[in-house]
Amino acid sequence: MLKKGLLLLTLLAFALAFVSPAAAGEPIKLGALYNLTGGMSSIDAPALNGAKLQAKLINQAGGLLGGRQLEVIGIDTKTDQKAAATGAKKALAMGVVAGLGYGDTTFVMAAAPLFQKKGVPFVTSGATHPMLPKWVGDYMFMVPFGDDDQSFAIADFTVKKLGAKNIAVWTDNSMDFTKALSKFYKQRIKELGGKIVLEDFFMMGDKDFSAQIARLKNTKPKPDAVFISAIPNEAGLSVKQIREAGLKLPIVSGDGFDTELVTTVPGPKLANDIYFSTHTYREDNRPEVVAFVKAYEKEYGHPPENAFAALGFDAVGLIADAIKRAGSTDGKALRDALAATRGYKAVTGEISYTRPSGVPLKGVSIISVHNGKYKVEEVWMPK
Amino acid sequence: MGGGYIAQQIVNGLILGSMYALVAIGFSMIYGIIRLINFAHGDVVMIGAFVTLALMQVAGLPFVLVAAGALAAGAVVGVLIERGAFRPMRGAPQVTGFIASLAVSIMLQNLGILLLTAQPRNFTFPAALQKVINAGPVSFRVIDLVIMLSALGLMVLVMLLVKRTRLGMAMRATAENLDVARLMGININRTILAAFAMGSALAGIAGLMWGGKFGQIDPLLGYVPGLKSFVAAVIGGVGSIPGAILGGYILGLAEVLFVGLLPPIYSAYRDAFVFGTLIVILLIMPNGLLGSDKGERA
Repeated sequence: MLKKGLLLLTLLAFALAFVSPAAAGEPIKLGALYNLTGGMSSIDAPALNGAKLQAKLINQAGGLLGGRQLEVIGIDTKTDQKAAATGAKKALAMGVVAGLGYGDTTFVMAAAPLFQKKGVPFVTSGATHPMLPKWVGDYMFMVPFGDDDQSFAIADFTVKKLGAKNIAVWTDNSMDFTKALSKFYKQRIKELGGKIVLEDFFMMGDKDFSAQIARLKNTKPKPDAVFISAIPNEAGLSVKQIREAGLKLPIVSGDGFDTELVTTVPGPKLANDIYFSTHTYREDNRPEVVAFVKAYEKEYGHPPENAFAALGFDAVGLIADAIKRAGSTDGKALRDALAATRGYKAVTGEISYTRPSGVPLKGVSIISVHNGKYKVEEVWMPK
Repeated sequence: MGGGYIAQQIVNGLILGSMYALVAIGFSMIYGIIRLINFAHGDVVMIGAFVTLALMQVAGLPFVLVAAGALAAGAVVGVLIERGAFRPMRGAPQVTGFIASLAVSIMLQNLGILLLTAQPRNFTFPAALQKVINAGPVSFRVIDLVIMLSALGLMVLVMLLVKRTRLGMAMRATAENLDVARLMGININRTILAAFAMGSALAGIAGLMWGGKFGQIDPLLGYVPGLKSFVAAVIGGVGSIPGAILGGYILGLAEVLFVGLLPPIYSAYRDAFVFGTLIVILLIMPNGLLGSDKGERA
């Protein structure tokens, strides 16, 4: 009985192994470049998980172009720009129809130009510099909004809703992303008649903010709010130390604060009066979001780590949508289809490429944290 | 910039310095015995932090047992590293051990990422240790006080051990001249293993403190303490345990005061100033503040 069952299972396995590719045709390969090891891995690893999940769901639903399977080839570029360029070459040599990847501009700039040269579209899941499509070219697409949009959104909120006039700005001086965020934030604050009373700096990897906090405490006139331009690693650390020093002023930031660390590191008592702009995903209950979170939990056994997981999921979704509309995997046809994307219902909000800058027109959520609880305050739309 | 502001910055510097000193003691001990610049020392700090997290938050053990566990975990990892990576290379040029320690460090970091993922985890200490103490214009937390006192306590303990016990005598003899010590009947392997176990146990407990102070840990957290303790040890004179403590405090104070007293635009370059200080100190005193000039090995 057992033997018979085993035999049957083996036969079934063989049948599946031989039949499905024959029916489906050649797989459609996507090259996913991410830093799975090294400093960026807390951002990039979830993004690749999201990307693979999307491909799996699409394949379960019957694949693309008459049953062809979507294959996401993950390439670890080790938080190293040289490895990013090598990874791009490797992906292109494997004959991928599109590339995707990265949560940071620096690495996109190392890889994407090689795709551009070969006429293969590259979609970044998480890099937010608004100049990216200009720098790389017409085969470059962004899933997230630009840094200018998220900075303007939180600057508007700081002045109009929080009523802050004197504002302190802390900037992580080691990244293009955090510097750009502060630049756009200060620009908008000044336009709105606010005043920057203190500018202070730190570096990614800094753990101790005691010196900057003592200065923040002693700043005259007293700041009404502090903007912290940081990536997730420093988000919880800075909040914890500022609150422990007894400072109660509102803390505002961008999507670098979109991490559980903002509440878990300081604890619910200290995680108070924090506001950040981010991808419309956290605390959102659109059907796309609910379905994504459920599928992610089922696949990986834990909820999505951060918004980058959702953005990776969206990157593959966006490419698959374009392949469907193009009806082919040809580079030029795929590029044109991507550029023609209008109202694609992504987990992180609707994506349309209607602006001359090539940055998607996407809503920005303003999230508040009170006693360790997240809440969507508003959704800001770019003009 | 009033007196209160400066006092607060000095306290901040002393707290940070205690942390560096705690890591630097173990680093300096290992160097003192076998002249090995052990870059994996910082990663033992990381392991100590994760073991603390596992014992405290997952297993829910009382604090004393957690501290004992962090010490034990550090010692075990130190012994394994010595047996696996450094003993086979004993007698090879110094640079070989140095490169081997870099390899061990990278292996431990990426092993951590593979096993635990690179996601930073939060780390909550008992509320009693998180309480803020206000003393005039200056404020600090109970945990900061614990770190300072334990750094000093451990220094005294290690010094007593090295100066007063048979094992300590064997360690000093081994440090002085390995071959002669062996001829005198000292079990070299056991002595070196003991130095690794002790130095790494201190790194393990430093991991507990590090997690408690900053409240967030990840598999790459050992990089900074590893590097800083190296600098602290060099400032104080490598191999000298009081030197490591002094170096740690100078480093912590220098970092905070550079940020606190210079215009904010320089805040991001704190490490550049710190390493600049290191160069100045080494130019004036090439063996560090408390180092001996006896050369590589007598």
